Amino acid sequence: MTAAATSIPGELIYQAIGLQKQFDNGKVLALRGLDLEIRQGEFVAIVGASGCGKSTLLQMLGSLDKPSAGTLNYRGRSLPTLPDPAAYRAHEIGFVFQAFHLLPTFTVLENVQIPMFEGRLSCSQRKARAVELLESVGLGHRLNHYPSELSGGERQRVAIARGLANKPAVVLADEPTGNLDSESALQIIDLLLDIHRKLGVTLVLVTHDLTVAERASRIIRMKDGRVISDHVAPTH
Amino acid sequence: MTFFTIVRRSLTRRPVRTCLTLFGISIGIAAVVALVGMAWGYEKGVSNQLDAVGTDVVVSNMSGGLMPKVFNESLQAKVAALPQVVETTSILMQMLSVEDAPIMMISGREWGGFAWNKMKVIDGRLPKDGTEKAVVLGTLAAEVLKKKVGDTVQIEVDELPVVGIVDGQALMENGTIFLPLKVMQAATGNEGKINFVNIRVPTNTSQAVIKQLCNDIKVIFPEGRAMVAREVVGTSQGFRVIRAISWSTSLLAIIVGVLGVMNTMLMTVFERTHEIGILLAVGWRRRRIVAMVLCESALLGLLGGIVGVGIGALGLISLGASPGIRGFIEPDLNPRLMLISIAISVVVGVISGLYPAWRSSLLSPSIALQS
Repeated sequence: MTAAATSIPGELIYQAIGLQKQFDNGKVLALRGLDLEIRQGEFVAIVGASGCGKSTLLQMLGSLDKPSAGTLNYRGRSLPTLPDPAAYRAHEIGFVFQAFHLLPTFTVLENVQIPMFEGRLSCSQRKARAVELLESVGLGHRLNHYPSELSGGERQRVAIARGLANKPAVVLADEPTGNLDSESALQIIDLLLDIHRKLGVTLVLVTHDLTVAERASRIIRMKDGRVISDHVAPTH
Repeated sequence: MTFFTIVRRSLTRRPVRTCLTLFGISIGIAAVVALVGMAWGYEKGVSNQLDAVGTDVVVSNMSGGLMPKVFNESLQAKVAALPQVVETTSILMQMLSVEDAPIMMISGREWGGFAWNKMKVIDGRLPKDGTEKAVVLGTLAAEVLKKKVGDTVQIEVDELPVVGIVDGQALMENGTIFLPLKVMQAATGNEGKINFVNIRVPTNTSQAVIKQLCNDIKVIFPEGRAMVAREVVGTSQGFRVIRAISWSTSLLAIIVGVLGVMNTMLMTVFERTHEIGILLAVGWRRRRIVAMVLCESALLGLLGGIVGVGIGALGLISLGASPGIRGFIEPDLNPRLMLISIAISVVVGVISGLYPAWRSSLLSPSIALQS
């Protein structure tokens, strides 16, 4: 794998000020004036009970959804008003989801190539990059298998490889171990940590599992749509 | 993996539905090929017939029908007197049911006129004179009627002997029954009547002179029309009606095809909401999603077009060989019609995909992922 991060370490990547998100015409308040800063190269775990707004926050950071109010900047630019949010999703971030979200009719190798269609790689370059990524996550022997033929841990590895396809600066992982047994979960966290260290990518991981969160360099606790604590983990 | 792989994969994931949709659109395209091919074939047949006879200008009174109305044969003398005219011949032509054949072209031709000259006698002879109550058959007409020299053919109430089999040098000529004009007039109760005056002008006569001749004829025959032979097919109202019928019937079949493809593409988009959400989440632009849906529907159209042309070609060949049409219409299955049909099918596919593509472009990635 090659280094992805090109920005200065410690540079402010995300800045949220008074971030709000309402659903159902304001009946549901998922985020209630959330303030947050995330810097380049951090491994941030966002923890909290189910429904605290952590996944909603991750969707905002991934430009999959827009806040109802407040400010959310990525490298000083307003995320909700980006002129080309697809380019941001394609080149700046990589997503890893709890439910893997792989395309069932495409092979492992093809799934990893999907995000690269928004890049400038040729067909053979896309394939070579996908093979390289899959080998790096230990799936070099599964290239032509379909997702249904893989275990949960293997599927998540494919999803991680896909998330790294366009050499993103940030990886956003939404409960990446939520559907895995404890052994697979451990392996996935090790893999993400390895990627974070080797590539220098900023890793933002949402989880409700404290043992997973304790692997992060910084733990942000959320409750009722707000940050209630934010501290660097003691082991770091 | 290319973008086309993604497009193709989405069509092969539901093979039965894709095949049914293809079949739907191909029926529409087959209708285009068959109906338009028949219409073009009829036009081509008439055009070839006029060429085979050696006619430069045709005088008739079409008045919207396929067969022109009859008029007094005295017009021929007036036309022949015009300075640009070298030769004329009077014809009374009708489409009639003859014995077992549901419809046949019967042509009563002025004896001695140039319309007889290009016939090549295959068997027997031509009529001895303009009064002999006899017919000659084009080769195909003989085949369709299963007649040979010495047999008889019943035209209306008259039983007329077959005295010759001729090669008329064009399919429509070969599918025709010929007899002297006077005999035809008597057999059909049209004494003194004709419905064509065919004219020949000197070789290398300019189009301007021919147009002037047509105008001069219009003066002496205001209810009729003189047309340059090669323009008959293009300008005749009857042919326009045939064209309109064939295209409008095809259009109906195409509309059914459009609805089929649109339904399939809408189903595809609805079914793949989650998948589209994934594509948006990994950075695909909305226009790429739209392009994917449009390419899928265009590919459906292309494949449906190819299958439809195949079905239409088979239909056209079968129609051309059927007893009611053989020798009367030469089905025109030319590459131009095939290409037009496939192009129509692709356009149909793209049009059918527009609404589903638009729907897909409206999907919110976060909501699509939750579906």
